[in-house]
Order: sequence, then structure tokens, then C-alpha cells
Amino acid sequence: MHLLTGLVILVIVYALLRVIFPGRRYLPGVIVGIAAATLLAFFPRDLFEMQFWAGAVGFVAILSALLVVMHPNPMVSVLFLILNLFCIALFFLMLQAQILAALQVIVYAGAIMVLFVFVVMLLNLRSEEGLRVGRGFGRWAAIALGALFAGMMFTAIRGRGVRPFFRPGAFLDGFGTARDLGDTLFRDYVFAFEAASVLLVAAMVGAVLLAKRRLQ
Amino acid sequence: MDPEIVPVLVEAAVKIVIVFGVLLTTVAYMTLAERRVSAWIQDRRGPNRVGPFGLLQPAADGIKFLFKETILPPHVHKVIYLLAPAIIFIPAMVTISVVPFGPTIRLFGRDIALQITDVDVGVLVILAFSSLGVYGVALAGWSSNNKYSLMGGLRSAAQLISYELPLGLAVVGVLMATGSLRLGDVVAHQAAHGWNVLWQLPGFLIFMTAAFAETNRLPFDLPEAETELVAGYHTEYSGMRFLMFYMAEYANMVTASALAVTLYFGGYNVPGLARLGLPGAAAAALQTGAFMLKVACVLFVYVWVRWTVPRFRYDQLMNLGWKFLLPAALVHIGWVAFIVLAGWA
Repeated sequence: MHLLTGLVILVIVYALLRVIFPGRRYLPGVIVGIAAATLLAFFPRDLFEMQFWAGAVGFVAILSALLVVMHPNPMVSVLFLILNLFCIALFFLMLQAQILAALQVIVYAGAIMVLFVFVVMLLNLRSEEGLRVGRGFGRWAAIALGALFAGMMFTAIRGRGVRPFFRPGAFLDGFGTARDLGDTLFRDYVFAFEAASVLLVAAMVGAVLLAKRRLQ
Repeated sequence: MDPEIVPVLVEAAVKIVIVFGVLLTTVAYMTLAERRVSAWIQDRRGPNRVGPFGLLQPAADGIKFLFKETILPPHVHKVIYLLAPAIIFIPAMVTISVVPFGPTIRLFGRDIALQITDVDVGVLVILAFSSLGVYGVALAGWSSNNKYSLMGGLRSAAQLISYELPLGLAVVGVLMATGSLRLGDVVAHQAAHGWNVLWQLPGFLIFMTAAFAETNRLPFDLPEAETELVAGYHTEYSGMRFLMFYMAEYANMVTASALAVTLYFGGYNVPGLARLGLPGAAAAALQTGAFMLKVACVLFVYVWVRWTVPRFRYDQLMNLGWKFLLPAALVHIGWVAFIVLAGWA
């Protein structure tokens, strides 16, 4: 895991260098690039470890999630959200849920995010508008909720203990295939599935009615 | 590192290099074929000066594009503007990786499937990556900071979303008949039970219409309608980056044709080949050749339609997609389900 730790540190160093030397645009890139190449030369074996890739995808997911919130330009935020959804698809793939990974890309990255891009393009938001931080009560509520969620995550992870999180042998044969998912959805949970679809149709009809107040 | 993994990686790398080489060559010669066929349709000569029959024209075009300046207009969003051609180019190239172009052959003591990877959700992978191409177009239009580009990008986003649905629903018919999302299984099923196009002709027509729209080809090339939008989303691009848009368009065409052949025309299989009793290697070569021939025929239809049918108006495009193709695809699914359940398939 030396390679992953090293690369994560390098990303942080890169960000710091960009802040310290705003004038020299290529210097941080060159320094960090050379350091990364040295790291790769010393620990090439890590590249064949599943844990390295899981950690790397996780790091990119966290980084992109942070940038979604922090980037001033709404369009760039949307792009980082797409990157984040991609990382989640990769997680599904690493957990052998191939169909979920494909559906994640089709539904979220492919369809829903296109609408986001569409809306941002139509509204033609300027850069500053993404950076409005809530004031007063909203900000404190956000901090409190965030702390609560962080505490919850912490206790959940502590409770599980340190276990190998990726064991390919742990899955049954045929796990995560289209057939398996279809069996689960349309046999075991068919009522819940149909109820959810009725709910979605109701929401869609409601949205159309709200948008068209004056129907003939 | 596991020593067993090395031959697997080498095999994958060799297949990737060969497939992308063939794909890029096809893309280059599609540009020539398009111009020659259009000239033939319009009773002209077309490019015939560079090399015999103009066969070196793609090389000349490529070199010319390489030497053109890549202009970076002021007031563009630099990063996204430079990234957009890559965003549209990569999905166009990746999609071909799950299409089988030949049977499994035995080479150097290994069974090698003539397909880069046969994933369990092959059809979904294709739909996923083809739906990502829209970002390249939309972002190119937005980041160019030009109203024609923006209009082209918006149109394209709306068009691609509208036609993804009929495309996916048309494919559902094939999947129901096969009972698998794996493209290898789709081909094997057709080898055993006859080509899908024979009894799913409506599904095929819906698929092809939607595929024309998804690849932004005439009669659905509204995102770059030159009479209204100059050149649409790539108005501001020049040199190598403009070329990437072009290559992505043709690569999408090749992939869509390969997919149409795989889903509806039996993929690489040749009817009656087993009766000839050819040795394995010759049969495999013949089947791969047959696959390429079939793809070439579909590509010819692409060019043919372009120079025959005029462009749709935007409202006609939306009406066709939502009010005709989508209901038709749903009815088609019902019909295929009926046949499959009745056991006639």
C-alpha cells in the first residue's frame, strides 16, 4: 500500500504547490510527475493488487465529491459529479455487481447527468453563483448534520472491525449477473418493485401537472 | 505479481491493438468511401488524384489536419474546450470492445475468442458508453462560447436522450429472444435459430433509425445543420481537435453497424458453413471476413441514406422519436414476448 499512500500525499503536495507558486504553472506538475514516476519504479507490484485500485478509486471519489461542492463553476461541478458517479460504478464492478455498474453508468452518468448539463447550459450560470455558502442558521445546521453523519460513519466502520473488504471467493457463482438481479427483483421483491414504479409514475404525472397549471 | 496473468494481459493487449488498428483504418477509409459513393450517387468523380483510385486520400487528409494550427479562441472555457473532443472520442472507440468479430480459435496452445472481452452485460456496456458520447457534444458546444455551438450542443443533448429510449427498447426484443445480455450468446443463438432480422424486422428498423439519430447522421444531423448553425457544436474547432470529432462520428457509425450486424444479421456466422467441412482456421478466417463484409454493407446503407433523404425539421425529429418510434418499440416488445412465450421462436 506504499504506492497508494505516496500518490495520495503527492496529490496533496501538488495542490499546496499550486497555492504557493501561483505564477509558475508547470513547476508543480513537473515535480509531482517525477516523484510519481519514482514511486512507480519502487513499488510496481502494488499495481497488481486489488486493494490498490480500490483505494485509488475511493480517493478519486472523495476528491471529486469535494470538488463538486467546492468548485466555483457550476458546469465543472457537474463534471466532477459525473466522475464521482463513475467511481461508484467502478466500486460496483469491484464487488462483482457488473449489471449494477452498467446501470449506474447508463442511468446516472448517462441519463440524469445529461439533464444536469442541459439545465446548467440553459440557465447559463456564472462562476460566482456556485460559491454561495448558506449563512446563519443554514450553515450551523449543515455543520451539525455533517458532524452527525461523520460520527455515524465512524462508529459503523469501528463496529465492523478491520476485515479484508475484498474477497473474490466470498461471492456465489453467478452473483451480480443480469439473471441473478432479475430473479431477485421480479421474484423475491416483485411487490416492492412494482410499488416503487407506481410511485415514480405518480411523481411524474404530478410534476407534469404542476408544470402545466392551465390544462384545457 | 501472479505469473499466470502475463499471457492473459499479452493476449488482451494484442487484441486491443489489432482491433483499434482495424477500426481506425476503417474510419479513415470510410471518409474516402463516403466521398466516392456520394460522387457516384450525384454523377461526379470524387477524389481520385492521390494514389490509385484516390486510395491515399485519407493519408493526405490526416497529414493536412496534423499540420493545421489548433486555434484556441478567446473567451472559451479552456479545460473543457480542450477536453471535449477526447470525451467524445473515447466512448466511440471503447464501444467496439465487446462486439464479437469471429469464433473462438486455438492459437499457441490457448483458446482465443475473437472479441476483446465477452462481458456478461455486453449490450448494457454498449448502451452505457454510447450514452456518454453526448457529453462531448454538449460540452464542446457550451465551452466554445458561441451561440451556434451552444444551440448545436443543446439540440444534440435533446436528440440523443430522445433516441436512446427507442434504441434500448428495440434491443430488448433481441435480448428476450436470446435470454442473455452477452453478445457472444446473441450470435450463438442466431446461428442455431436463424437471424433475428427475419422475424424482428420492425425492431431492426427502429434500431437503425435510432442508431442514425444517435450517430448524428443525416437525416438527423440537426446538431450541425450548416444552413442554420454554421457547423453546430464544432464551429470553433480546428486542426487535430476538429479531426477527432470527425473520427468519433465515423467510429460511432462503424460500431453501430457492427452492433446491427451482431444483433440482427447473425454476427460473424455464415449459413451452411458447417456443411463445407473447412479446417478450423480457414472457417474462422471466412467468418471474420463475412462479419466485415456485413458491416461494410450496413455502412454503405449509412452513406446511401445520407445522400438520399433530406434533413428533418427539429419538431419532426422530436415527433418521430417520441410519438412514433417509442410506442412502436413498446408494441414490438409485446409482439416478441408473445412469440417467445408461445414457443415459436
